[in-house]
Amino acid sequence: MKAFVKTDVLKVGQRHFPSIGILVSLAIIMIIFGIITPKFFKLDTLAGILTITAELAVVCVPMALLLISGELDLSVGSNFAFAGVLGALLLNRQVNGLLTLVAVILFGILIGIINGLLTTKLRLPSFIVTLGSMFTLRGLLLVVTGGFPISFRGQNVLLWLLNGKLIGEIRMSFIWLVFVVVCFHFILNKTRHGNWSLGCGGNADVAQALGIPVSRVKLFNFLLVGAMAAFGGMLSFARFGMAYPTLGEGMELEAIASAVLGGCALTGGFGTIFGASLGALLIASLRVGLVLVGAPAYWYRAFIGIILIIGIVINKEVMRRLVGGGQ
Amino acid sequence: MKDGIVYPLLEIRNVKKAFGRVTALNGVSFDVQSGELVGLLGDNGAGKSTLIKLIMGIYEPDEGEILFQGKSLRGLSPGYRRKLGIETVPQGGAVVPYLDVARNFFLGREILKTRFLNILALSKMHEESARLIAETGIRLRSTYERVSFLSGGERQVISIARTLYFKGKLILLDEPTLNLSVKETDKLLEAITLVKNYNIGIIFVTHNVYHVFDIADKFVILNRGNLIGVYQKNDVTPNDLLTCIRTGNPI
Repeated sequence: MKAFVKTDVLKVGQRHFPSIGILVSLAIIMIIFGIITPKFFKLDTLAGILTITAELAVVCVPMALLLISGELDLSVGSNFAFAGVLGALLLNRQVNGLLTLVAVILFGILIGIINGLLTTKLRLPSFIVTLGSMFTLRGLLLVVTGGFPISFRGQNVLLWLLNGKLIGEIRMSFIWLVFVVVCFHFILNKTRHGNWSLGCGGNADVAQALGIPVSRVKLFNFLLVGAMAAFGGMLSFARFGMAYPTLGEGMELEAIASAVLGGCALTGGFGTIFGASLGALLIASLRVGLVLVGAPAYWYRAFIGIILIIGIVINKEVMRRLVGGGQ
Repeated sequence: MKDGIVYPLLEIRNVKKAFGRVTALNGVSFDVQSGELVGLLGDNGAGKSTLIKLIMGIYEPDEGEILFQGKSLRGLSPGYRRKLGIETVPQGGAVVPYLDVARNFFLGREILKTRFLNILALSKMHEESARLIAETGIRLRSTYERVSFLSGGERQVISIARTLYFKGKLILLDEPTLNLSVKETDKLLEAITLVKNYNIGIIFVTHNVYHVFDIADKFVILNRGNLIGVYQKNDVTPNDLLTCIRTGNPI
């Protein structure tokens, strides 16, 4: 034990500082919007940001875990939309709220398992597999809906539990956001599955050689992403009382962007759940902030692109300095 | 020991392996005893890596037998062989760069606080890894340090110390000194010598005779898949071995 100089600074710095890049970026963006329009810091605005954050974070947080294990899922946006439509269809047919939620999540799990099996058993790149399922699901969704939104006119306690108003403009999704972040933080940092995910993404060959069931670990993470994308879709449906077949378009990129902005290595093996959720908060702030300052709607995607590039530059620097990235 | 007979830790008996028309190993035989360090020497393409993969269980021999403590390893998976006590340390060490030392040390065989949700006993993992790495004589700043900050030699030591903890009986070191500085090589060789004292058999694969000569007990020389000779340390000099590797002729 004498051989070790246990320095707390090192311990704290290396474990928590990777999120500093996203914290700084978030603070800068919020301050800029706050200066341009004081409305940005009004409680209602912040509650709106939290609502958007929650719906994105329940998808981007499991996506972060999947990225950490060395894979990605582009089908989350389609899965998200399909879940909402499925939820609306079931509720319109008087299916019990809890059963509807279970059915929708099982559907999401099925998508996750298909993506995971195709990737791990056939050894195909997850980028291609999930790109395929993204188009397939979106196409099926348009077939089912005919391209029209499906509304739910009844009342159901499930919708309130998922995304009803809690206090003022703060919605129940905020509670779900906290719950999901805490759960996934725990999975990543305190459980064997988290350690194995980090190992698989860091070096799959070494992980395999050390006896880690790499395929099973990745499959489980695909399953989690599928389940949570479906849950996110239900949150969104619960907010609007309506399911749009076009919902979640581009969400796959926003989810990956949030995770990467939050410090996840695109190559796998490193990332934090806290950082990924801050990434979602940054994207939500940007979306609301741009509306408040009256920027043309077209600018939103351009800004996301610019912020992503800046974020990746910061991410790379953080990785190099604090995590020893690239070595 | 079985029926009063003491078996060598590892026996390689007339092992042959070919990949298509290319003969990678052509009738190689030697043995390794517990606490013995065998230098497996040969130039590129000699068949060293193939032999290591055969012992690990990645390939099966076409002919011949590999016995571990008197029992054939044929048909046993790499995972099962690891459970028997055969550990491999690949080039660069079996470590994952972004994980800290303790998490790397126990990767795949974590200490759990509870089976429910497989929650890690992180404090114990840090304590135990610190104790074992300190035993190899290597000084690390902290077990909380990410492996990406460690030198190549330190990374290998984590893998070697891991073998001690999990009571490995045979370590296969695949070119452990490749790309290491002189100082790092010295430190690593010290650690390997310490591990040997725990009565662990070691196969040290290298093409650098000078790195292994001082610490080895025996040398096995391969050339283009053929066994050139097995020599006890007292019978040879580094120059003899070097000439043997270069020419492919027995000493």
